[in-house]
Amino acid sequence: MTDHQPGGLPAPLRLLAKPLPLLPIGTVLSLAVQRLAARRPGIFDRIGPYRNCRFRIAPIDLDFDFLLVPDGTRARVDTISRKAKVASDVQIGGPLVDLLGLLDGTLDGDALFFTRTITVSGRTDAVVALRNAIEDAELRPADLLGVSGRFGGLVDRAVLGGIDALRRLTTASAGSSPAEPSPPKSPDPTAGPAPSITPFGSLP
Amino acid sequence: MSLELVCPAGTPSALRAAVEAGAHSVYCGFRDETNARNFPGLNFSPEELTDGIRFAHRHGAKVLVAINTFVRAGSPAAWMRALANAEAANADAVILADIALLDHAKRHHPKLRLHLSVQAAAATPEAIQFYAETFGVKRVVLPRVLSVEEIAALAKDITVETEAFVFGGLCPMAEGRCSLSSYATGKSPNLTGVCSPPEHVSYSDDADGTTAKLARFTIERFAPDEPAGYPTLCKGRFIAEGKTGHWFEDPVSLNAAELIRPLAKAGVTALKIEGRQRGKGYVAEVVAAFRQAIDAIAAGRDDPDTARRLAGLTEGGKQTAGAYKKTWR
Repeated sequence: MTDHQPGGLPAPLRLLAKPLPLLPIGTVLSLAVQRLAARRPGIFDRIGPYRNCRFRIAPIDLDFDFLLVPDGTRARVDTISRKAKVASDVQIGGPLVDLLGLLDGTLDGDALFFTRTITVSGRTDAVVALRNAIEDAELRPADLLGVSGRFGGLVDRAVLGGIDALRRLTTASAGSSPAEPSPPKSPDPTAGPAPSITPFGSLP
Repeated sequence: MSLELVCPAGTPSALRAAVEAGAHSVYCGFRDETNARNFPGLNFSPEELTDGIRFAHRHGAKVLVAINTFVRAGSPAAWMRALANAEAANADAVILADIALLDHAKRHHPKLRLHLSVQAAAATPEAIQFYAETFGVKRVVLPRVLSVEEIAALAKDITVETEAFVFGGLCPMAEGRCSLSSYATGKSPNLTGVCSPPEHVSYSDDADGTTAKLARFTIERFAPDEPAGYPTLCKGRFIAEGKTGHWFEDPVSLNAAELIRPLAKAGVTALKIEGRQRGKGYVAEVVAAFRQAIDAIAAGRDDPDTARRLAGLTEGGKQTAGAYKKTWR
């Protein structure tokens, strides 16, 4: 096994991320999503009947997963161990920077699917609804943190600048252009079965 | 040369992205079965459409509303309501396919500009003139089965504007007449506005890769690092007479950037980008690339290598000029 997974965080950063599950990330994110739902209920209207689905989001370069139930002001986000057997309706996997790119709309979900950069299994209709809702939300870091004005602008610049730096770091490590999605990941022989892959839409 | 660039928007944010990236026109649909991209979480409410049109008009762009599925027998209310809502929202045109709906629009919404959807599959002067003379259609979206030479010949024999797809997904059959999705799932783009509905798509893994199924049909197997395409029957890979292949159509995107100049010379009015189901990252990139190409060619410069720029956004990592260059004839 190599130190660096293509498109993923370099080994030193993965090491730094290891203690993150010990922090109350889930509580903080849950409150952030609930506050967002109170301010912008339209985002969650777009998710429609899938707001009670359980989305397991697995950044391949972290050691833990997120479990999201996007039920508006009752939304929950939990961090769970990668090995934990928790019931979920949808499983989404991929490099952290690409998943963040989907969140802020800078990357196209279908393009990431075509290149096999992201993986999804479970209820495809729920994934499509969540993807489209996030796409339309135009989420900024300040939205999630519930701050606005000049301070919100500062938060956006700081966080987005950090993500951009992370993206450049990972793409440079993987030897690809920052403008392109991360290359397809190689299967890790020590890992369990790879999650399935599905596109975020289909067309006539 | 003054080509209009017509761009897709599945959400209000994609509409804004398209306008800001340089779209002359944006097409979109309502959040129901009246348009051919009826996917979960996609499309516009009447209020969102009104706001979107206001935004587009402020920036000098037009909005075309696709109401391009065929009316369900005995239940036309949703389609009639969509027409009324489009007019109330101040849409610049509606894109229709159903003859009954065209007739209703002509009678009850005479101020609405009518475009003929690609779903109507009108590819001959006789068919196009029928729609023009009977319903007052002003523009036809050309089926993706014509060569550039055929479009040039067609344009001389018709009295309406033409709109030609230049980028995005391809269909293997005459649009509006494909029953593959309906056969497999009971739902089709023609009637319910959705091809390969996501609730019927499933994937499973084994040591050799991923198997994709649509309802009870296995349609594809991907090796672990093999580029993927959409889970439609037409893009599936099947075994027939001992050979394995994409017997309907390869998973490949249309990219006719190199044909912008010939299409303009052929008399085409507008160039259309497919992809209302795609994200705003796709919309912004493709629209900006084509707008630059159109402007460059209008100024007498060469196409700024649009095909290479957009390679990362294509289905299956491949692109084609499609029927515009019919090398098989």
